[in-house]
Amino acid sequence: MGHRRKRNAGDAEPRSQVGKISRRTMVAGAVATTAVAAVLPLSDWAYAQVADSNSNPDMMSFLLLSQALTGVSIKTLAPELVGSVPGIDPINIKDTYFKWIKEHAAETAPFRKLLQIAGDSRLSSKDIIAKVNGSDDDTKFLARSIVLLWYLGSWYEPADLKKFHDSPKLLNGPIPSKVVEAKAYTQGLVWQIAGAHPMGYSNLQFGYWSRDPHDPNGPNGNPLPLFSPSES
Amino acid sequence: MAENSTACDVAIVGSGFAGSFIANELSKKGVKVVILEAGPRVKPNFNDYMKSFYEASSKVPESPYPPAVFDSKGNVIDPATVAVGRPSSLTLGASSWKDPKKAYLDQTGKRPFKSTYERLAGGTSHWMGLTPRLVPNDFRMKTTYGQGQSSFPFPDWPIDYETIRPYYEKAEAELGVAADVDEQRFCSISFSANYAYPMPRIPQSLFDQRVGQALAHLTDDETKFLGMGAPVTQLRVRSLPSARNSQPYRNRRACAGNTNCIPICPIQAKYDPTITLNEAMNGGARLITNAVASEILLQNDRVSGINYITYDPKSGAKTGTGLLKATVYVIAANGIETPRLLLMSKRQKPNGVANSSDMVGRHLMDHPQYLTWGLLPQPVFPYRGPLVTSAIGDLCDGPFRSQRAAFRISLGNEGWNSVVGGNAKFGSDPNVTTLDFVNGMNFSGLNSKAVSPAALFGADLTGALGDLISRQFRIAFPIEQSPNRDNRVTLSSVSDGLGLPRPQIAYDISDYTQRGFVAAVRMRKLIFKKLGATDFTARADNDPAGLDVMIDGRPEPLTYGGAGHVMGTYRMGADPKTSVVDSWQRSHDHPNLYLVGSGTFPTVGTANPTLTLSALALRTVEDIVLKLPSQKG
Repeated sequence: MGHRRKRNAGDAEPRSQVGKISRRTMVAGAVATTAVAAVLPLSDWAYAQVADSNSNPDMMSFLLLSQALTGVSIKTLAPELVGSVPGIDPINIKDTYFKWIKEHAAETAPFRKLLQIAGDSRLSSKDIIAKVNGSDDDTKFLARSIVLLWYLGSWYEPADLKKFHDSPKLLNGPIPSKVVEAKAYTQGLVWQIAGAHPMGYSNLQFGYWSRDPHDPNGPNGNPLPLFSPSES
Repeated sequence: MAENSTACDVAIVGSGFAGSFIANELSKKGVKVVILEAGPRVKPNFNDYMKSFYEASSKVPESPYPPAVFDSKGNVIDPATVAVGRPSSLTLGASSWKDPKKAYLDQTGKRPFKSTYERLAGGTSHWMGLTPRLVPNDFRMKTTYGQGQSSFPFPDWPIDYETIRPYYEKAEAELGVAADVDEQRFCSISFSANYAYPMPRIPQSLFDQRVGQALAHLTDDETKFLGMGAPVTQLRVRSLPSARNSQPYRNRRACAGNTNCIPICPIQAKYDPTITLNEAMNGGARLITNAVASEILLQNDRVSGINYITYDPKSGAKTGTGLLKATVYVIAANGIETPRLLLMSKRQKPNGVANSSDMVGRHLMDHPQYLTWGLLPQPVFPYRGPLVTSAIGDLCDGPFRSQRAAFRISLGNEGWNSVVGGNAKFGSDPNVTTLDFVNGMNFSGLNSKAVSPAALFGADLTGALGDLISRQFRIAFPIEQSPNRDNRVTLSSVSDGLGLPRPQIAYDISDYTQRGFVAAVRMRKLIFKKLGATDFTARADNDPAGLDVMIDGRPEPLTYGGAGHVMGTYRMGADPKTSVVDSWQRSHDHPNLYLVGSGTFPTVGTANPTLTLSALALRTVEDIVLKLPSQKG
């Protein structure tokens, strides 16, 4: 809890680092790109644009995986990858998470397996979820850690999730967790899912709390839709 | 000593609300003021504090502020090694609250004292910002409700509501209070002619509005348990007076509803004492930080100086000592640190300074809170707006007070953030509920599928969380605690990092106060029924604050939380035999010593104490100024 990372909130990873691809990821990426072309009309529209965006194929798989597991559209997870003109996401939380998982998942195999599942673009979000649920425990609990990362900005060790899932009576306080960095907390998705904002981080206006967050006539009405049409 | 000696007109120990108010008012009048502050200086901006808060795994009230409670390996830092320690809500668990190697306060009592405080310039910046007034009968409990009861524990105050009223109005201007005069006329609260609060009231949240509708029609049968002496057939939800800007005020922005009043408002739309403290320093007051007052020196019956210890804020190592000399001395170090300093000062008085009555440290009080939480049939979208915008205050005074404790009903806008799973034992929400549905667990109580808890992904997950979290609510019942001479601050045999004895605390909750909990439980049942809400109020196993009251012959397992209100430990009164200070907060024993803050409250009512202690501080300024020329003589 006292363990603090020294990184500043705006200190995103340089994009070039993410672009580094090993031979293995190149192969996986090629497979993914080819497959996308074949199933494009059936797939989520965001996929095509991500696939067009020249980024790391592992990152594409990661975003598809994240979209399926979190139920939140790639449009929200990686806003700069979607739209007619590729833009810049100054927050770029996806790179932070991707790097974090690679560094902190105790074993690399489960993460590779998850990326492979999502890289098979014949799969819909529903199929990805089914495959993840049918996987071995290491893969399944890592998938849960990844969802928690997106939702809460905090890392929960897959081994802890398994332990307390299997034996909840062993838990005698909060499950240990680590806020990845300040911006991870402020980008947590669960707040938006609940129609709220992270506590201590809001850009809403005085008095908004006396109105329904979905009131289109309110000053804060019509928030960015979180869920892509095919997901919701 | 003499090599590091400072002289001034008025020396103040502590730079929180009371200390800053007094320093600022005196500086405006040209009085030379020096303030000793145990903790670090005022930061030029909040960025570091916000970063600490965002990165904290447990976003407890102390999370943005130094010192750290855990080391880099996640182990509790032994408070014996910390120069300026303070209690932490992270060390109030079953295994830590009585362990002085983990908890700063050496707690030896039957139950835990659950409130915490900060030690840094500006003091109580992590407050909720609620500023209701005490009601007139709070000042005359013995006269109004204690006639014929020899053991009635509540004394009268030496002043009445009418005496403090003009100071309430001055304090409301300094704090910048948003409220509506007509809405605040209840329980005989009155205002001077043509008075208006500095700003319009804070709008009510969706939950406030829902509760107001639900309680608009009640029957006498449903409410007669309250003992109000007259039928209660409706209850009004009133916006709470708040030191929270509803429009720009004194160069600070209007509230943007960050839902983070505790621990820190990121835009300073909520008043905090650094504002007045900075103004005092601009006016000439001098602030000495990282300087711990260690001893009050006496010459005959007058205070002649204050010894203090300086330390390195990084290493915590002692760096030197100093002596502060003044004509008048003000101790404004809160309800635990002030008696600690008085009791430590025993060179000339073995029982401590200002303690001929033996009342210093006694009558420690809080507003123990009965915390309840539930789920509504329809969403009210919590986790939005100030943490609290409204309350039901009308039940805080009535004939029942001869028999049981009063309470107010505080409506939360932060869902189950601080209560989920039983006093947030397994962490706070939305984390706990999210973990439950991602990982197939049920610590929130919400994931109770018949076979086993659901573990969801995708749209099922967003659907479940969006639906459930938006229907959460929390209601707290802050309860008036009766003064008990054995609820007490003394000196512990364990020390802090500077070698000074830490506070030892004995604390319990009286039968009178527990009867207030019983009424609050009945009220919870009525409100939840009217809301059509499902009750999730629960007590975690081994909760050291567990309390079992009997309701209709059956035990009801309860728990209580601290309100952060540290009160009563150097009470005011007219009789020097039974009180420590007079109504001006001047020591009965030492004519040039003032003890200020909520420690002087002889009884605490149910109002958050900050406005009252601020008003009393402003009243004290008048006495200091009046007597300063003769004190110098």
